[in-house]
Amino acid sequence: MGGNQSVPKVTPQDRAILDLKLQRDKLRQYQKKIQVILDREHEIAKAHLATGQKDRAVIALRRRKYQQGLLVKTDGQLENLEQLVSTIEFSLVEVSVLHGLKQGNEVLKEIHKEMNVESVEKLLEETAEARAYQREIDEMLANNLSLDEEEAVQDELKELQALAMVEAKQEVDAKLPSVPTERPAEVADPVPTPEPAREGGDRVAVPA
Amino acid sequence: MSLVAHATPSGYLLPSIHSAPPFFTKQINPTTRSIADDHWTRIILGYARHRRLFTLRVEDAETSGNEWDEIFRNERINRRLLPDHLASLISSMVANNLAVYEPPKQSRSVLLYWRRPEEWADVLHSWVASTGQMNTIMTFYEITDPPVESPLSSLPIVILRKAIDVLSKSARAQIIAIADGEGVRFFPGGNKI
Repeated sequence: MGGNQSVPKVTPQDRAILDLKLQRDKLRQYQKKIQVILDREHEIAKAHLATGQKDRAVIALRRRKYQQGLLVKTDGQLENLEQLVSTIEFSLVEVSVLHGLKQGNEVLKEIHKEMNVESVEKLLEETAEARAYQREIDEMLANNLSLDEEEAVQDELKELQALAMVEAKQEVDAKLPSVPTERPAEVADPVPTPEPAREGGDRVAVPA
Repeated sequence: MSLVAHATPSGYLLPSIHSAPPFFTKQINPTTRSIADDHWTRIILGYARHRRLFTLRVEDAETSGNEWDEIFRNERINRRLLPDHLASLISSMVANNLAVYEPPKQSRSVLLYWRRPEEWADVLHSWVASTGQMNTIMTFYEITDPPVESPLSSLPIVILRKAIDVLSKSARAQIIAIADGEGVRFFPGGNKI
């Protein structure tokens, strides 16, 4: 692959989105500016009040109120713009989802084309035929043995089984101890050991 | 006399050499001078990274009361960095590609590269990836001035542009320009140049 992968082309939609976002940034900057003005007017009003110029302070506060109104208005506009941007971006996502669905659908169609019902039926039929053929061959092979031969086979099987039995028995014999020949001596009943008496077993409450 | 490291009020740890009076004088011997310059460069860039400062002006050594006071002045030994010393430091930093004159064609003010544009490119790309903004068109303002603090907050546009240039060379970013301004779009593209 080359060093430079190609980047997607800039579409008019991209330009529109960028334009909206730039407008949004401008509004944000404007809001910052208004905030600065608000703070400044507040300081001015304070300074006027300190020097006793009440009417000037009132004028500054009035200007401040007006700017505050502007700030609220820009907030509304900003919200509008951001909603628009979000809507556009979401629509682009939807478009790409739709595109994905479309492609998936096409692939599915392609696969189905290769796998239509007729060919499946045909395939199943062929499989069944092959199985039947196999069974026939099996039967033929099995029937090849004559009755005598079959008997011989059965005899051999029995012989093998008997041999296995004998071997197993020998093994068991080797493991088990021999049976005692003498009678075991009688063992006296074990004397139950008396429980040691608890010290100070029964205490009697002494009346005070 | 023993020299000790000193922590500034903003929490930056100055090395012990900063308490040595000769350190604030431009050295004549070229070897001594280059060692001192190295130390100064390290202190300046470290402090800039610590406080997220991007611009340095010769003027910062001429006046007091700015954000560079903590390292250009040492009241404990009554020394300060002189403007022409700072100017020569700045020119050596520019020569070593640790800073760049901004605006170009003057030598009073520089942008500090406590991260190279290539490193900024990496920071930028991983920030975009971690915030899920791949393939989204973004404005420069949105990157350098996000509502929530990010590693790229208040990054100068000049550095941002250089970082984007680095990314677009490996097809990980694309600049979109319209009449009203510029925007950028980032792409995942894992392979680096």
